[in-house]
Amino acid sequence: MTSEDIFLDETIHQPSRLRVMTMLVAQPEDGRLAYGFIQKTLGLTGGNLTTHLRKLEDAGFLGISKEFVNSRPRTWVYATQEGRRAFTEYLANLERALNWPASGTV
Amino acid sequence: MAQARLTPEEGWRTIHDTLAQSQSSLYLAGTAYILLLWGALVSVYFFALFAIAELAPGFEASYPWYRGALWMAIGTSGMIGSALIGHREGSRNADHATARSAGLRVFAFWMAVVAGAFLITGAAGLWSADGAEKVPYVAIGIVCLGYVLFGIMYRPALAVVGLGMAAAFYIPAYLAGDFAALGTGAGMLAVAVLGAAWIHRSGQP
Repeated sequence: MTSEDIFLDETIHQPSRLRVMTMLVAQPEDGRLAYGFIQKTLGLTGGNLTTHLRKLEDAGFLGISKEFVNSRPRTWVYATQEGRRAFTEYLANLERALNWPASGTV
Repeated sequence: MAQARLTPEEGWRTIHDTLAQSQSSLYLAGTAYILLLWGALVSVYFFALFAIAELAPGFEASYPWYRGALWMAIGTSGMIGSALIGHREGSRNADHATARSAGLRVFAFWMAVVAGAFLITGAAGLWSADGAEKVPYVAIGIVCLGYVLFGIMYRPALAVVGLGMAAAFYIPAYLAGDFAALGTGAGMLAVAVLGAAWIHRSGQP
């Protein structure tokens, strides 16, 4: 086996999406983060973030909910069970790739 | 959209950096507003000292403990205000346990700084008629140290604000004579407003 055989899910293994998923899975099971907070923390444009969120949402890794707080719309983002499971698997594979003697770009 | 490729090492580093960045963003929520609140309150304290010294020269002789009482009122208002701002800002960013945990940690940090200022001045024997005048010298030094330490950990601008506050307090105290309180009040307010503007401009109040 080579490091090329270690599978890293491309939906997660991309800089912006990896950062989004890291922020979300670091929250408690029922924890949600505000869209604006993710955008500011990661320094992404609205369009860029929305594109990455949609890709992760299409894969079933995150959910998006909208609600009104004091008559103002607020968008919340949260990791789904499937997203948490995929991230755990991604981490395990990442560790295996890191421990591989000559790991390069996977 | 261009798909940047990550090596496993870069992936691992990205995860660690993001966790640290996310945590500090939560801890810093509302910092600029809290900073402005404390700057305004400390300025009120020094403007009040100056006003009392100028307008009611006999007041301090009749009520030698008034500085302590004034400081306590300022400190209590600041703590309640900081908690409310921290809670409000935290709730905008995250919900449930995350917001509560970040808010509580920041509140505990500043409570420890204020409590430390109170206890250390007490242990040094300054809570007495003779020592009361020296209490702000130590207490504000400790609060400034809090800003510097918090700034080193999470945002260098806050460390600069801490140093600015120390300068605004100690320089007039040694050089401005009777106008020291006025100079400090104005200096503290200026440093707080500049610091808040700087942090706000960086995009994370």
